[in-house]
Formats: sequence, C-alpha cells, structure tokens
Amino acid sequence: MSAAIELRGITTRFGRQTIHDGIDLTIGRGELVAVIGGSGTGKSVLLREIIGLHRPDAGTVRLLGTDVWQAAGAELAAVRRRFGMMFQDGALFSSLTVAGNVAVPLRESGLVPESLVAPLVALRLAQAGLPADAGAKMPAQLSGGMRKRAAIARALALEPELLFLDEPTSGLDPITARAFDRLLEGLCEDLGITVVVVTHDLDTLMTIARRVVVLGGGHVVADGDLSTILASEDPWIREYFSSRTSRDRREDAEADGT
Amino acid sequence: MTDCRIGIEAGRVVMRLAGAWQLARLRQLDEALKACPAPGAEQGAGAPQVLDGSALDALDTAAALQLCGWLRARGADPATMPVRGFDPRFERVLRQVAAASGDQAAARPAALRPPIARFGALAVSAGEMLHGHLSFLGFVIVETGRALVRPGRLRVSELVTQLSRTCVTAVPVVALVTALIGLVFAYLLGLQAEQYGANIFVVDGVALGMTREFSPLIVAVIVAGRSGASFAAQLGTMRLNEETDAIAVLGLSVAQVLVVPRVLALVLALPLLVFVGNLAGLAGAAVIASTMLDITPSTFLARLHDSLAPRHAIIGLVKAPVFALLIAVIGCRMGMSGSRDTRTIGINTTSTVVQSIVGVIVIDALFAVVLQEIGW
Repeated sequence: MSAAIELRGITTRFGRQTIHDGIDLTIGRGELVAVIGGSGTGKSVLLREIIGLHRPDAGTVRLLGTDVWQAAGAELAAVRRRFGMMFQDGALFSSLTVAGNVAVPLRESGLVPESLVAPLVALRLAQAGLPADAGAKMPAQLSGGMRKRAAIARALALEPELLFLDEPTSGLDPITARAFDRLLEGLCEDLGITVVVVTHDLDTLMTIARRVVVLGGGHVVADGDLSTILASEDPWIREYFSSRTSRDRREDAEADGT
Repeated sequence: MTDCRIGIEAGRVVMRLAGAWQLARLRQLDEALKACPAPGAEQGAGAPQVLDGSALDALDTAAALQLCGWLRARGADPATMPVRGFDPRFERVLRQVAAASGDQAAARPAALRPPIARFGALAVSAGEMLHGHLSFLGFVIVETGRALVRPGRLRVSELVTQLSRTCVTAVPVVALVTALIGLVFAYLLGLQAEQYGANIFVVDGVALGMTREFSPLIVAVIVAGRSGASFAAQLGTMRLNEETDAIAVLGLSVAQVLVVPRVLALVLALPLLVFVGNLAGLAGAAVIASTMLDITPSTFLARLHDSLAPRHAIIGLVKAPVFALLIAVIGCRMGMSGSRDTRTIGINTTSTVVQSIVGVIVIDALFAVVLQEIGW
C-alpha cells in the first residue's frame, strides 16, 4: 500500500519570498504526525498544498497514491472523498445547522441511503464529543470548542482514511484542548485514521504526537519522535521547547526526582 | 463481496458477516441486511445471539451503525452481544459505535404552517421591516445632525472615499444609459411629431421628460443596484467578521464611522449624477434631432432655452437627494441587521435592491401627485 502522503521537492514562493525551498516528506498510513514551526514558516500553506487548494511552484504531492496536482477533476474528487479537513475556525457553513453541515458530505457523496443520514449524523456528532441537541443549533450559536468539534464531525462524515487539522486546539481552554487531544488519539488508534495536525500547542505535542515534523527556513529542520526533536540542536527548536514556563519544568523535575 | 448470513450453531443464533463493510457499500449492505431472515423465520431463529466476524475484511463506523440499527430493531444489543473471530480493530469500531449510537431521538422538522398563517407572518414582518427602516432613518438623521453640528466628528476621508465610489465611478454608466434613453425618447417622439411637421416640439418633450422624470428615476435605479447593494453587502460582511464590534470596542461610533459618511456621500452624489444624466440625455436627443429631424444643435439649444422652465430641472434635482436618502438608509440598515451568516448577507443585498427600487418609484409617484396638486 502506498504511503498516505508523499511530498517531493515542494517549493512555494509568494512574490519574492520563498516559503518552502524543496520540502521532502513521507507520512505512512496510521501515523499521527504533528507539524510545527514558527509563524510564517508555511505550515498552513503546506497543508493547503497537500489537499489541493494551493498549487506549489514546484514539486509533487502524492496523496493516497494520487498526484494531487496532476490528477484530473474526477480523480481529484475521488481522493478528496477519502480525507477530511478541519479548518482553523471550523469553516462551518453558516446558513446550515450543525447537523446540516455534517449531512452535506453524506448526501453529496450519494453513497448513503437517505434513511441512514440522520443516524449517521448523530453518530458523527457523538464521535466528535458533541451533545445530541447540538445538531439543531446554528454554527453562530456554538462556542469555539463546539465549533471545532462540529468541524471534526463534518470532516469525519465520509470515513476518511486521512484527517488534516489546522490548529485544532488554538483558542481552546486547556481542559477542552486536552479532551481534543484524546479525541484525535482515539481516532488514530481505534479507527486507524492517519492524522496530520498543524499545531502550536506544546501539550498536544507532548501527549499525542508520535512523530513531529519541524518546518523552518523553507526546509524540514527536524523529523522524528519527541525525544529526537528534544535532542535537536536547532536554536528555534530549543527556544520553542524552553518556552514552557519555568514552573512546568520545576514540576517535571520534581516528578522525575520522586 | 459483502454478505451476512444467519444460522444456528450449537443451539445459538449466529450471524456471520463477510466481506468489506464500508461506507461506499452502504446500499449493498442495506440490501443484504433486508434479505437476511427475520427473527422467527424459517429456521426458527430469533434475534442473533453471536456475531461472527471471521470472514470480515473491513468494518467502518458507518457500516457498524447500520448493523447496530438492524440488530436493535431485532431486539439484540450490539453493545454487549458476544462476538467471535473479529479483528480487534473491527471489534473496537463496533463497540464504539454501539455505545455512541445507543439512544438517539431524531429531531422532527417543524411542520409547515398553513398559508393564512404564513401570509400573516409575512405581513407582520413587512410591518416590522418598515418600522425598523423608519427608526433607522430617525437614527441616521440624528447622527448626521451631530456630525454636522460638530464637524470635527465627520469622517472626511471616509466621506471622500465613498463619494468617489458612489459618484465618480458611476459617471460612465449613468452617462451611457441616460444618453441612450434620451436618444430613444427623441427618436420615438420624432416619429410622431414628424407627421404633423412639429419637429421642434421634440425638444420640449425630451427636455421636460428627461430632466423632471427619466433622469432622476433611472439614475436612482442604477445607484440602488450599484451603491445600495454594495452598502448592504459590505456592512453585512463587516458585521460577520466582527469588524463593526471592533469599531464599537475602540470607542468609536459605528454610525459615525460607517453609516453617516455613506448616507451623506450618496445624498451629495445623486443630484450630481442626475445632472450628468440630464446633460447626457439631452445630448443623446440632440444627436437624433440633428440627424433625423433637421434640428441643428444650435437650434436645439435655443429651443431648449426658450421651452424648458427651470422648475422642471429643479424638481428633478430636488427629488434626487430624497431618493438617495432612501437608498442609503435601506442599504445601511439591511447591512446592519439580520443574523450574522453568509446567507443573510445574500438575502439582504437582494432585498436592498428590490426595496430601494420600489421605494424610489413610490416616492416619485408621490412627488408627481403632490406637485400636480400645488400646480407646479
């Protein structure tokens, strides 16, 4: 079986500014990968290039075995049914209820008998950890955390093999954010979904990421499990991980001591 | 190949699942499950007691949900029923789905109200809309008064930007449309007048018609489509993006920053555009007059001077700011009201144009009746 994602020589420029300068990256099936990097290092752009929303200036993107930027319309549409994407602010359709949002991919795919749409929507909402009455609400009535959950429910609608999340825990309180981490971990482990998450959240990295990819200066600066990344000599990575408060580190040290 | 079979083994009812149970095959699964014998059917089988997944190639949550629904309908509990031969992943999926889909009452869509009730609701909402427009008009007048009393409050740069957008950039389309109307009007009048040798009266007719009625009306319709729609869409989007909230939180008045400059700009712009329309309409008529009716441009001008009483042109120019106020108030209010979603922006923008055009024509009719009564 081919890798879930294969990037070769991705180069992206905005005007004179080079965002990516030949990025190579392979992500296998069933992995839970976190992509980190400073602001402006092109994490979100890379994500958009992988899912076929932004054309890289050079390089190839193979997603579930299909070359996204060479694929014909029908082929691309077929691949797009096989992954889910959660945008940073949810990107819920504001004129539909939450249940309506989740039902859109189910109905549009033509695969789901109408009698099964409502129960399947309810299942997706439950999977995303939303209460049953949330389905009837409009996106504008939801809190930030619930909006993100609704977005996950919609992304999960068609049983994706691959799930992309752009900053899933940004703007959430730590309790909700940790619940979100567990949700992602469950999706990856129980359902075997490959999860790629762009994040700034250190705790997300520490708790769930099996593999961390660090972008910087247009390249992949580091790639590996958490201990590899922590051992890195790269100044940005060192600063990134030392940005945890001194209190956290003291607590860690105490925990190690006992 | 997806399939399911029910059989009896050692006195227990066993349901065997086979093949790939996946979302893409939901319809086939539906068929397969329907074809599966009902409880108490030929072999005397009741509800399945054991699930056998040894021939299962794949099971995803959608298919598991369908299976759970089928099992529950037959009195089996998929959350607790024993399974065998399942891949551990598939068993997890089944148990998770069984737990998550336990009790769900589907929400019923609201019943459609009878026509009379809908008509009543429509009338009430139209009344509320009118009421809202009137109070918004009052609000705009108060805010504009404040800005004019203390000119320091007036956002001059925003006013100039809006003037440029609503007036200067509208000149070409206004000139083109009114010139064409003047041309057609003169041509049709000329066809009739020629028969009586009354060519010169075409100038009288065109001058009166264009300056008093056509130019203000046509310009107002164009502006309603251009600027009214743009106000509603822009303010609606700003509200959606919480930009209006940001303005309020910065201690600024949304009315002063966004509404007053737009209303003032349109009230200033429309008379100017009507004047442009007058000139273009008469120029169009002059072209027809000289080519078809043997009226030279200088004769045209002289006749215009003699026959057109200034009050006709003035009435046209006086109507313009009234139309402008109506369009600007409707556009701004439709942008600032309604729920914050994209659908509302679309509906409100359409509604702005419709309401503005209807309103302009109604006010124009009022003008005609009132001015007739006072003998102007």
